[in-house]
Formats: sequence, structure tokens, C-alpha cells
Amino acid sequence: MGAFVRWIQKTMMSKKARCPKEEYWIELVRLMLDGQTTDEENAYVLKHVDGCYRCYDNFDLEKAIREALKNKLINIKVSDAFIAEINRKAKA
Amino acid sequence: MGKSKVGYNDIEKNDIFDNEFMTHIDALYNFAYKLTHNEDEAKDLLQDTCMKAFRFINSFERGTNAKAWLFRILKNSFINDYRKKSKNPGMVDYQEVETYYSSDGGEIETQSTPDLRSETVKGMLGDEITNALNSMAVDFRTVIILCDLEGFKYDEMSKILDIPIGTVRSRLHRARNILKEKLAAYAASMGYK
Ligand SMILES: [Zn+2]
Repeated sequence: MGAFVRWIQKTMMSKKARCPKEEYWIELVRLMLDGQTTDEENAYVLKHVDGCYRCYDNFDLEKAIREALKNKLINIKVSDAFIAEINRKAKA
Repeated sequence: MGKSKVGYNDIEKNDIFDNEFMTHIDALYNFAYKLTHNEDEAKDLLQDTCMKAFRFINSFERGTNAKAWLFRILKNSFINDYRKKSKNPGMVDYQEVETYYSSDGGEIETQSTPDLRSETVKGMLGDEITNALNSMAVDFRTVIILCDLEGFKYDEMSKILDIPIGTVRSRLHRARNILKEKLAAYAASMGYK
């Protein structure tokens, strides 16, 4: 299982190829990416994902969205002046 | 919030504030800004949070998760003080959100998730991701921010939001579906393939 099988699936099957338990696997993939699953559960999820075109796509998408959120949003730094003001007011 | 036996002395209070709290100031500000969408409100919210943190510093137990403790104060301040004042129609009550979705069996967002390719997301600009996130109801936005941006675990989010872990899990799942839909709709409107 792996890249070759997915290539076959990709070539032979329509883009719309569905997984009968797609929602179930999406939720498990999310729990895994959120670090809420055990190694054993991860292996169970990855085994399915690796052999299912649809779920592999979803897995890829979930990772891409997380990376975009983490890396593409602007993070503002609080100015030193404002930090000083906060310090003064909080400790007053 | 644990400790209530002994209070900290002034040196200890300053030390905790400077070294355990202020290291999270940028994360707190960015959380406040993403909740309010307004620079002045975010600054007020941050200031309130820090003032409360110092005032109630005795209820913080040293060595425990300061970041989660502070985020909880900020989120409570937001709900109690800012959300009431705000006229933003995108803001919905937590309870409402839960009732709304559970009464429909959560079908709304699972029915027809539009196709969205990971390559499309990888090609999106920061502004496009920001717009999608900002257009979500604040309750859903919050769980995404806490989990994906700040890296809190479900048990920490449960404490910050005062909801059971099961609710964290289901709300996050719904939030991710909604975000995916928003991104897909945005991609379609921009003609991305
Ligand atoms: Zn599948």
C-alpha cells in the first residue's frame, strides 16, 4: 500500500470517489493531528488513510489548513511602551 | 484555580508576574485581537487581563500552566465585559451555538462539504486565511485559535473554556468543518481550482 496504490486510485477512479465512513475517519484524523490519540490508534488511522484515496486527500487537506493557520496569520508584537504601561497599571 | 492557603509576598508576586505571565503577553494580545477584531478593544482586554492576573495572583499556583490560566481570565473578561457591549452580529452565545447545532443533529455542516484541495490552501495568502477565520462565529473561532494557533491540548481548552472535554472535541470538529467550508467557498469565488 502507498504511493502506487494511490496513483492507481487517482488515475482509475473519479475525483468524487467517496469513502463510506468518511466523517468517521476525518474525526479520527483530526484527533490524531491534535495529539489526542495513542500510538496504537495512530497506526489504525494511518493504515486506513494510506489505502483510501479520499481519506488520504482529507488527511493532506487537514494538515495544510493547520499549517496555513500556524504560519500565514500575522502575529502582532506588543510594544515595549505598552508593556511598561500594563506593568505600571497592574502593579499599582 | 487551586492555591488559597498562603499568599505570595510582593517580591514573589512581581517575580511571577514578570517571569511567568509577561512571557505570554504577545500570545494574549493576539488572542484578544482575534476575538475582538479591534485594536483598542484588544488592548483594553489585554490590560484588564493583566490587571486581574496580578490582583488574583494568589489563586495562581506556581509551576502550573500560566498560559492556560491567563487565557482563561482573558476569555472570561471577553465574555463578561466585551461581548455584551459589542454589536457585532457575528457573535453568538456559546449556549446558542451548542443548542443550534445539536438540535439539527450536526447535519448542517457534514452534508455536502465542498471539495477543497490542499494545494489550494497552500497557495492562499494570509489575508485569505484570516478572512475565513474571522467570518466564523466567535465560539468556533476560539477553539480553532486555542488548538491550532496556541497549541493547547483538549484538557487545557476544557479548563480555559469551562466546558467538558467532549464538548471541546465536538465543537472543534464542527469548527473545522465550518472553516473548511469557508475556505472552499472563498477558493471557489476566487476561481481557484
Ligand atoms: Zn476512507
